[in-house]
Amino acid sequence: MANKYMKKYRYSLILLRELVIVDFKLRYQGSVLGYLWALLRPLFLFVIMYVFFVKVLDIGKEIPHWGVALLLGIVMWNFFQEVVKQGLKSVTKNGGIIRKINFPKYIIVVSTSLSAVINLLINLVVVVIFAAVDGVSPSWGMLLIPLFLVELYIFGTGLAFFLSAVNVKFRDIDYIWEIITQALFYGSAIMFPLNRVVDASREAAIIVSVSPITQAIQDARFFGVTKAVDSTHTITSSMFVIAAPYVITVLMFVIGALYFRRRSPYFAEDI
Amino acid sequence: MSDAKHAVEVYDVHKKFSYSRHKNNSLKRAITQVFKKKDHSHSEFYALNGISFNVEKGDFFGILGRNGSGKSTLLKIISEIYQPTSGSAKHHGKLVSFIELGVGFQPELTGRENIYLNGALLGFSKSEIDDMYDDIVSFAELEKFMNQNLKNYSSGMKVRLAFSVAIRAKADILVLDEVLAVGDAAFRKKCNTYFETLKDDKKTVILVTHSMGDVRKYCNKAIVIEKGQIIYEGGSEGAVEAYQGLFE
Repeated sequence: MANKYMKKYRYSLILLRELVIVDFKLRYQGSVLGYLWALLRPLFLFVIMYVFFVKVLDIGKEIPHWGVALLLGIVMWNFFQEVVKQGLKSVTKNGGIIRKINFPKYIIVVSTSLSAVINLLINLVVVVIFAAVDGVSPSWGMLLIPLFLVELYIFGTGLAFFLSAVNVKFRDIDYIWEIITQALFYGSAIMFPLNRVVDASREAAIIVSVSPITQAIQDARFFGVTKAVDSTHTITSSMFVIAAPYVITVLMFVIGALYFRRRSPYFAEDI
Repeated sequence: MSDAKHAVEVYDVHKKFSYSRHKNNSLKRAITQVFKKKDHSHSEFYALNGISFNVEKGDFFGILGRNGSGKSTLLKIISEIYQPTSGSAKHHGKLVSFIELGVGFQPELTGRENIYLNGALLGFSKSEIDDMYDDIVSFAELEKFMNQNLKNYSSGMKVRLAFSVAIRAKADILVLDEVLAVGDAAFRKKCNTYFETLKDDKKTVILVTHSMGDVRKYCNKAIVIEKGQIIYEGGSEGAVEAYQGLFE
């Protein structure tokens, strides 16, 4: 029996590896600079945003290293966004293979999310460059950043499992998610520090901090870049609120994975 | 493993498909359906109606039937791509199915990259394909084209490449759906050689085909399906007669 599970596991790994490679190759297919774009694209986009939001607009002026905190937040948001958006489309996109071959379907969602991880790592390199230029001093708190990235990954993948399975039957999910994304983007305090929300209403800040997206991003800013930003634990001492994002993350993943597993045997005929 | 004799056991398989008159993957329809008492735009259709048969180890097993008789649905249930509505389909041993050749081929990638992708879908690791790579390419006779994108291949070249990878599949049971219906005389010759090898190696093969020549030549047993039911089960000669009887 053990041998049987090993074989199953082996097939999944081989397939996973190949699908991630193919995805990466296809992304930069036909461009002159090729893979270099993976690094150049965020670099240029960051320079533009940095100049606009930090030098032109006055948002976050009072916070040291706000530019770096801003970039880190944008990178984390983009990561979450890519995991969910590409993930929810991944199953229907691969309908051709699903209808012809029997293989573990979760591989599709996981390979898409791993492609997002590769992009995240490249983007983080750019953030580190900005942090060094901006003179952010290294701290032990930075070691906590991977923890928040893992949290975002688990939350995003759980959502992707759930939404991709629903999307097989109801193609509206794609559009609905786009609208929700907009709300989440402004609700997660990404382009402005959470301090602004606290100034307006402490209750509102606590409510948005229950979301794993807000909490992961603000905590990464707080521990990794500057203690001048607010984060969940600086605005409330309620353990209930502080624990909520982690509980939501685990719940989302379990529900998403279970639902996906229940629906996946019927993907071939429903797509 | 239980039951050493049978490679595939199909027991009382039914398969129901539900069709909507309008394609039902929008939320609007799902919501409006809640408010309708009875949905009249829904129709059900049984593609398979109580199919039972066993395939023994080493059998070269033919499945015949007209277009739309349920052959492909049956193959997909045996291959675990579809779930039966009721009944069961079990197999003992590693099963690889070719419902189509070149599944997952990416036109924007090169022939070489597609070999690795297609191989991975068959369960081959990179190093395993590294070892077989030269053989795959020379068997497909595509040495000069491996660094070209697949979109520049002719359909014949694509089939050759796919077939060349497919025959590497290591399986106890092979399920083939009309894969030989494509290609020219040279390709057919390669297919024949491959079938001979499968027969000599005592592999279990399930073959869906419209070629009576192939049934006579390779199959030792066959079933004929009509409207989702088995109307003949037995030797290949009788199967050919029963199949041809459908058209009289």
